[in-house]
Amino acid sequence: MNPKKKKIIKIAAILIVVGLLTGGGVMLYLFNMPHRNVQETSTDYSLSSTELVVEYLKSSDAADEKYLAEDGDSKVLEITGTVKKISEDFKGQKVILLQNKSDEAGVRCAFTTDTNPHVTSVKMGEIHTIKGVIRSGVSFDPDLELYENAILEKCDLIK
Amino acid sequence: MKKNSILFSGLVVIFIFSTLALQAEKLVSYKTHFKFYSHTSVEDIEANNYAAVGTIDPESGVVVFSVPMQGFEFEKALMQKHFNSGNFLNTKKFPKAKLKAQITNLNEIDFTKDGIYPAMVEGDLTIKGVSQKIKEKGTVTVKGNQVTVDSKFNLTLVDYGISFVKGKPSTNVAKTVEVTVKAEY
Repeated sequence: MNPKKKKIIKIAAILIVVGLLTGGGVMLYLFNMPHRNVQETSTDYSLSSTELVVEYLKSSDAADEKYLAEDGDSKVLEITGTVKKISEDFKGQKVILLQNKSDEAGVRCAFTTDTNPHVTSVKMGEIHTIKGVIRSGVSFDPDLELYENAILEKCDLIK
Repeated sequence: MKKNSILFSGLVVIFIFSTLALQAEKLVSYKTHFKFYSHTSVEDIEANNYAAVGTIDPESGVVVFSVPMQGFEFEKALMQKHFNSGNFLNTKKFPKAKLKAQITNLNEIDFTKDGIYPAMVEGDLTIKGVSQKIKEKGTVTVKGNQVTVDSKFNLTLVDYGISFVKGKPSTNVAKTVEVTVKAEY
């Protein structure tokens, strides 16, 4: 084999190995890709709980189009409203319902095991701003016969 | 005449309050847990959702759940993205799944008396805009003022237009997944 051919084969082999390693690395990264850190993601919209409720009741389709993402990494919102209820879900996450007086529905904000301690200082009737990712919007459900709250998860209080 | 109109408005007020009181008897649950579990020889996949809302009408036996689909959380981020995507559950277009069913053995359940009651439910389950008839079993537990509902049933994905012909999901996602429901009213 002449030295030129040898060199070409060598380069090709290196390229293939590098390609395989990169491809494998990308696959491995995608497979083990961590969840998006909502609190470290920049906020897409800041609004009051009333504004979000009104927007959804006006047109839930238009609001879903604006706020929900196809891959589930939907918009990150900062919602300001009155604390109407503080509870806990089956995962042990604190849940705050932000709902202003005379609104049909509110925004249900679920915290995480990491942000739970921040809820301890929150009292009913106070006005707070909470940041989280939207999972679903407000609507009147005729089968439940009630207004469903918007759902925010991975929440934390904004100082 | 004036007396009559006062009497009439009094009756109207009483009527409104009594209907409100009747409606208030409906049990509402904001504390729920829905779990999907898929088992194949390749891997086990689990997703959890804690954000559904449910109601039970003890008078009529109607059970309703509304489940926000983007609230399902997977261990792996990529699986969660696949789950939400257009060719799997298309959660942007169909953000909620709905269960509306009727307890068929309502006479065997006393919501006012402590006990563990087996419940039979029949109704419709709507996922991704596709409704299918379901007939499942569950348990109603009454303890003091607390009512808890538990159920476990299987879902065949293709019934709701969810199927995979090729790629990883076709080998790694079971054709039938197990759904576990828990709700506290």
